[in-house]
Amino acid sequence: MITDFPSRPLPLPNADELAAELAAFGGDAIIPKDLRRTLFPVITKEDVFNLMLAQRSTPQKVVDGFAEAYRQYVGAGYALPTASGTSSLHLALVGAGVQPGDEVIVPAFTFIATAQAVVAAHAVPVFVDIDPRTYCMDPQAAAAAITERTRAIMPVHVHGLPADVPALRALADRHGIALVEDASHAHSAKIGEQVAGSFGDAAGQSLMADKNFPLGGEGGIAFFATAEAHGRAADYLERHGIDYGMSWVAAAFGTSQLARLPHYDEIRARNAELLGRALDGTGLFHAPHVPEGHTHAYNMYRITLTPDAVGLDDLPVWAVKEAVHELLVAEGVPAREWQNTPIPCHLPFQHRDGFGNGYPFTLNPGAVRDHRPEDFPVTQGMLDSTLVLCRELRAPVEYERALRYADAFAKVARRPDAIRKLVEAGDYRRPYEKAARLG
Amino acid sequence: MELFDTATVLTRVLTSGVVMSIEKSDRELPGLERLLSKQTGRAKAVLVNSRSAAVHTALAGQGIGHGDAINRPGLGEKDRAFLAWLGIELREDAAEGEPVAFDHIALDAENAHRLGELAAASTAPALVVDLTGLGFGPAAAVLTDDPVQWARGERLKIFGAYDLRTMWTQEEESADLVPGVQFNYRLSPLVAACVRMALGQAKRPLTTSGAAS
Repeated sequence: MITDFPSRPLPLPNADELAAELAAFGGDAIIPKDLRRTLFPVITKEDVFNLMLAQRSTPQKVVDGFAEAYRQYVGAGYALPTASGTSSLHLALVGAGVQPGDEVIVPAFTFIATAQAVVAAHAVPVFVDIDPRTYCMDPQAAAAAITERTRAIMPVHVHGLPADVPALRALADRHGIALVEDASHAHSAKIGEQVAGSFGDAAGQSLMADKNFPLGGEGGIAFFATAEAHGRAADYLERHGIDYGMSWVAAAFGTSQLARLPHYDEIRARNAELLGRALDGTGLFHAPHVPEGHTHAYNMYRITLTPDAVGLDDLPVWAVKEAVHELLVAEGVPAREWQNTPIPCHLPFQHRDGFGNGYPFTLNPGAVRDHRPEDFPVTQGMLDSTLVLCRELRAPVEYERALRYADAFAKVARRPDAIRKLVEAGDYRRPYEKAARLG
Repeated sequence: MELFDTATVLTRVLTSGVVMSIEKSDRELPGLERLLSKQTGRAKAVLVNSRSAAVHTALAGQGIGHGDAINRPGLGEKDRAFLAWLGIELREDAAEGEPVAFDHIALDAENAHRLGELAAASTAPALVVDLTGLGFGPAAAVLTDDPVQWARGERLKIFGAYDLRTMWTQEEESADLVPGVQFNYRLSPLVAACVRMALGQAKRPLTTSGAAS
């Protein structure tokens, strides 16, 4: 039998390990090689039993029951369960009234699906820069990009932090255009007591098994504020013969996961706070910024580096980041870049072939730009100076694992000499000089 | 498939802890790909999450896109609507016997045992196999002998990536194969595991004997 049950528990942290030689230079790693696997999603007997029970129901009932339970959790008006996050974003745009050739404003920093969903809706994505503290869409940049052909603004609640919805809502209302959320990272994220997915005229959300709220493999859900928007999306599927349906297998798994979501959210928040306090004590590393009144879902945890705090201000920050990355990975903390260039610099938005022969970009040539990374200086600066924890902190990991992550960052931050040595010996390139990567 | 068998398969996959298509250690999706290749006699399989995704994959794999026209007689209203959404025209002037762009088989519990036979009758460069009728939710596959068509299909379904297991970190070496529009057409390993067992167990239904009639 193949099982994910761990072979042995992770040892409790030991302060002596912090002063030991770095793993990259021959010392012992903070997290030993055989104990690095992070289990996610957490699968319990309830999930198994729920799948068994679902077999006794009809597929439609299982999917509808799941969608209604989650709609109520989010507090959205209407919901359409889908096969993926991309398809949910596509339907959210359609429901919000986006038509072929329309312009939709999206952030230059997101997962590529945000922009591809716009193309799927036969519309044209217009990319704008992000806020330097939240990494979400900059409302001023969005305002500057609005034209007569703009039909919607689609902010992304990046990594699980809600975007500046009040400012973007006001902007959309001022211009009579729709606000469509990409809430794919933001399960249970909130502004005040309102949950992401219920802020906009419509929203799309991925529910794939690597998200904070995982379904059985792949899935997504579109939310709508009005019956009219919901009807427009449902009719669109029918009219165009598109199969975006969710499998009952995925939905049944999600139903039992939903019951435990608040529990896992609490552990994620606890671990994020624990790590944040430890990072802020290192000088070199800084925790994500969370504006007052916002609840971060921590689907990803982006850490900022300030090399000047440890006497490395003469080195390029992106080179320091690469060296730190190497050192952390050696210690058993698989930090990542997660994106290395703005989305408009990815091949599909450089070549703009779309569905073929340039469609739908050909519908609105005035909206198309040949972008370079420096067109988005805030995004570029963030990519140069940050590293990300993904599943390592998304999973409700053991307390001792969270402590060991904190120790690994502290151990690396104590060694600016080692960072300098790697930078001087390394052949590092700026992130955007490498081939564009999905994550 | 018996409820007990479905329960066993689902429990087995859940116990493995691997329910994500992009998990490095997933064995369910490659297992279904191998089975479909074997049963249809085609070299390559692209698994996707619906019939319309498979039609899109079959055409995009051949480089057919918006503004192009294809020969494919006999399509129903839903498929015709989907082709129109893709911006692909159905040729009405094709001569009889002219090659078709793709063939299509819809499997269910009644005909799943005939997949090999049905596939053998197909001559199109891409074979769309709709697996939804097996009862585990929307699922489909595109079978082909053409490695380029397969490579394009894989990239269409996972945002231009060519391997689910390394999709986050891979660097593209064949930029000409990257599609302009990209989707998440990925199939769940849980669904793939159930489909695989259903296909593996598919047997010719018992026929009634002459004595009983």
